[in-house]
Amino acid sequence: MNCEWVQQNVTLYLYNELPDDARFELEQHANRCQQCAAVISEFRGLHEQLDALPKLEVTPNLLAAARMELQERLETAEQLQGWRRFVLDPVAWLRQWRFSPALAAVIFIVGFGSGLGTMYSVAGGVRGAAGVTPTSPQPRAEASISGIRTIQQEAGTNRIKIQYDKTTPEQVQGSLSDPEIQQLLLYATRNNYNSGVRMDSIDVLRQKPEDGRIREGLVFALRYDSNPGVRLKALEAVTPYVHGDIRVRNAVVEALLNDNNPGIRMGALHALEASRADTSVRQALQQLAKDDPNPYIRTESRKMLASMPEID
Amino acid sequence: MLGQNASRVNDAELIREAQRGNRAAFEELVRQYDQAVLRLALHLTGSEHDAKDIYQEAFLKAYRNLGGFRFECSFYTWIYRIVTNLCLDHLRRKQTRKEEPPVASDAEGRELNLLEQVADERPGSSPERNLARRELAARIALALKKLTARERIVFEMKHYEGLRLRTIGEALNTTEETVKNTLFRATQKLRAALANAR
Repeated sequence: MNCEWVQQNVTLYLYNELPDDARFELEQHANRCQQCAAVISEFRGLHEQLDALPKLEVTPNLLAAARMELQERLETAEQLQGWRRFVLDPVAWLRQWRFSPALAAVIFIVGFGSGLGTMYSVAGGVRGAAGVTPTSPQPRAEASISGIRTIQQEAGTNRIKIQYDKTTPEQVQGSLSDPEIQQLLLYATRNNYNSGVRMDSIDVLRQKPEDGRIREGLVFALRYDSNPGVRLKALEAVTPYVHGDIRVRNAVVEALLNDNNPGIRMGALHALEASRADTSVRQALQQLAKDDPNPYIRTESRKMLASMPEID
Repeated sequence: MLGQNASRVNDAELIREAQRGNRAAFEELVRQYDQAVLRLALHLTGSEHDAKDIYQEAFLKAYRNLGGFRFECSFYTWIYRIVTNLCLDHLRRKQTRKEEPPVASDAEGRELNLLEQVADERPGSSPERNLARRELAARIALALKKLTARERIVFEMKHYEGLRLRTIGEALNTTEETVKNTLFRATQKLRAALANAR
């Protein structure tokens, strides 16, 4: 080990990124070499200086705003499945320069191929113009038609093209342990615009909160449902799991801190009583005891804090 | 370490659920990492507004492409890779524009002067000392801005986030050796820029 090596690696030494043997040798060398000891000391001073720069911290408001916006955008976002993952974002591909030549080649080949394909299909279309091919294999008598979109007749032929929409209401029956019933109920908690249907769905789902998937659906409703009645029902359903399931506890703490409905915050407060020794619950209670706009919640939080043993 | 392994197992379950279309599972994943993501973006952009944009873009990208996640790395590394790429793009775009003063902005675009936060409130501090600290902070902010986008990210992740070089390499899709060299260059530049300040 020489002075040049030490000076090249002083940064790694200070960041604790050197292997133990190299670290030991560097320290031994610095004990013997004043010049290297001075360099280490200089870099240590630089690190201290750099720590003097104040860093912006993520405020709870910023985090909450970011989460809410993401939540809204996820409503309309779709996961790309199968081949779509590879073709639907060519702009992002282009940004990665290393893929650009390959992408250019693919575009060229696809363009050339589709040009040829178009020529063949035009020729084929002319040949097949006299034939009649029904485009809808479904017997229309069995389906109810909700509306006709367009009607077009091809000039000079007896071929008519009709675009229409179908609605086929369906019904399914089964027990709550039936996966299909569960799926529909969970779908209803998230996607139905009618809060009455969501309420009915939660009412049924709360009979089986021991099922992990159902509990997740209930937690989702507690976190995001726009209707306070639905949120309250979901809270009641997951309350027995606050102590044993960390995800449920986190959701209830969030409701306690952020729900705009005081009734739900009070419900969350009582639900957390059994877990009040948990650090996150304690911190939430301290915040509420200080800042909650509702005097009842402030008082109850103080009472719960007062009944807890002090932590040193 | 045990906690880390447990978290990985938990992540794997959540990822599989999310890949099957369970959005609540994805949101649970988001909640595990979003504070770190937002903090990194905030430190690198200095703007709450830009940090929020990067946060949105990163998690939406992760959601859309989750089907392609093959468990070859941890979700943590994967999301950091997405965020660092977005931050690199952002810093490169910003560096092509003119120099900006060392101010940050909040989500509404109001300026937050970082230098105002340097004041030493401890007993025994003096106005002269406070002024010196502010000047130093201004010089550091300027020196950091002069780093290349990649040097800035490597330095931020090492010095302020305290990540291991190997993790930084994984996030930037490069080798640990390259990260070492980048960190070395960044530190030398900062050393030169702040030489007279000590």
